[in-house]
Amino acid sequence: MLEIYKRFWQVNWAEQWQYRANLLMYLAYWLVSPVVYLAVWTTIANAEGNVNGLTAGDFAAYYLTLLPVDIITSSITIHVLAYKIQDGTISNELMQPVHPIFTNTLMNNIAFKALMLIAFVPIWIILVLLFRPALTITPLSLLVAIPALVMGFLIRFLIEGIITLVAFWTTRVWSIWQFDEAIASLLNGAFVPLALMPTWVQIVAQLLPYQLGLSFPVLLILNQLPAEQIALNFGLQVFWIGALYGAFALLWRQALKQHSAVGA
Amino acid sequence: MHAARILAALFKINVQQELAYRADTVANMLVSLMWLAWELTGLAIIFSNTPSIAGWSFGDLLALSGMWRLLNAFLQAIVFPNTEKFNRGIREGTLDYTLLQPANSQFMVSFSRVAIWNLWNVGLALATITIGLLISESRPAPLNIAIFLALTASGSMVIYSLWIVLIALTFWFIKFDNNVTLLAAIADAGRFPATAYPVWLRVIVTFVIPIAIATTVPLQALRGDLPWWQIALALVAGLLALFLSSRLWQAGVKRYSGASA
Repeated sequence: MLEIYKRFWQVNWAEQWQYRANLLMYLAYWLVSPVVYLAVWTTIANAEGNVNGLTAGDFAAYYLTLLPVDIITSSITIHVLAYKIQDGTISNELMQPVHPIFTNTLMNNIAFKALMLIAFVPIWIILVLLFRPALTITPLSLLVAIPALVMGFLIRFLIEGIITLVAFWTTRVWSIWQFDEAIASLLNGAFVPLALMPTWVQIVAQLLPYQLGLSFPVLLILNQLPAEQIALNFGLQVFWIGALYGAFALLWRQALKQHSAVGA
Repeated sequence: MHAARILAALFKINVQQELAYRADTVANMLVSLMWLAWELTGLAIIFSNTPSIAGWSFGDLLALSGMWRLLNAFLQAIVFPNTEKFNRGIREGTLDYTLLQPANSQFMVSFSRVAIWNLWNVGLALATITIGLLISESRPAPLNIAIFLALTASGSMVIYSLWIVLIALTFWFIKFDNNVTLLAAIADAGRFPATAYPVWLRVIVTFVIPIAIATTVPLQALRGDLPWWQIALALVAGLLALFLSSRLWQAGVKRYSGASA
């Protein structure tokens, strides 16, 4: 099995490397919104002194931690899989004796993100110099964040996988995906730190899995969570991975029954 | 007369295409309503924490988000579909047929595809701008309204020209099918007033990829924030950009030798 993963990694890494110029463009996509939000909140914090106790340096630390975390935990599954389901080329992968999504698609995601992270490092350094964040990272907080990042990625990977599977029935999934993106970006801390949201929104955010893939690892790295919150969120991550995996597996079985390939 | 007949024909074709995918059209309209709700929620969150951003009130920012939606409608209705068609044309050689048509090639490449459903977005944008201005209780003088309209037109010309430059560059660098990705990526920076950004970012969105020229600047004029020389500069920039980009386009077409030649 390890050998299989190694091969999938080699193929997907080579494929992504071929498109490295495109990667820089995708990186621009990734950067603009968080940098704009950061710029706006910095202006507000500077004008008011602070926003709910957060200074300009705190906002900078938040968004500049969020950027790499977002690259690490995000998923590009729908971009690499939806069109294969639509035009039927998924059939080739279904012939293989391994689960295509947990091998090929997964490795493709990881290869893409690895390249993005490498390209992002110099940009991150420039942003740090421009925004001067009040970083509160310690070696311990980084270490604790590793399992949170891995599980956060799995959660986002499974959510997007589930949405992509809907394509087996509806062919087009982009509208559903956009709805999910909109809700996620408000409830996972991408738009503003959740602490600035009204209390009821914070409760909803805590009940849904979105914040576990972004806000939680970010706050963990920044040492801003009390111990019981950390334990709670780790527990929730394990729970959601189980629940989402169950839903995904169920949907996958139905999807394969539904699938008849294009033109059949 | 000639141009009007071409426009009418193009309009008819595009309406037919839109009607062929009615479910998509409805889904697109719902999604854009959803994003409007998203923007309003975002503004509500921001303004529950602060009374203003760099001197811009809630109503001002609502109007700005309308300007941004207008720009976005232009990108989605015209820039993206025509770029896709153009890139395919360059790759597969079908651009030859466009160039052979007895009409201005830049016009045909820019406007042959129009995603008509974006008229819905234009409507939403105009409503948002109007409501935003009413909430902010700005009572602009008729002169300022005229300048606002002129600057919006000139800002659109700048964005249009930038797009023409980006796709014309494909004639030199054939493998440049990412030509508008950067434009799409940075468009998000138009959601907020450029004056709220740090200087380096303001320079980027005003001069390098001038999203702000079509969003922030016209509203600044409406508010009476702009000195006359900046207004003049913005107006000249639109015409100059249009002129330079069409020169570059012509030079590019001269260079073009077809996909297999």
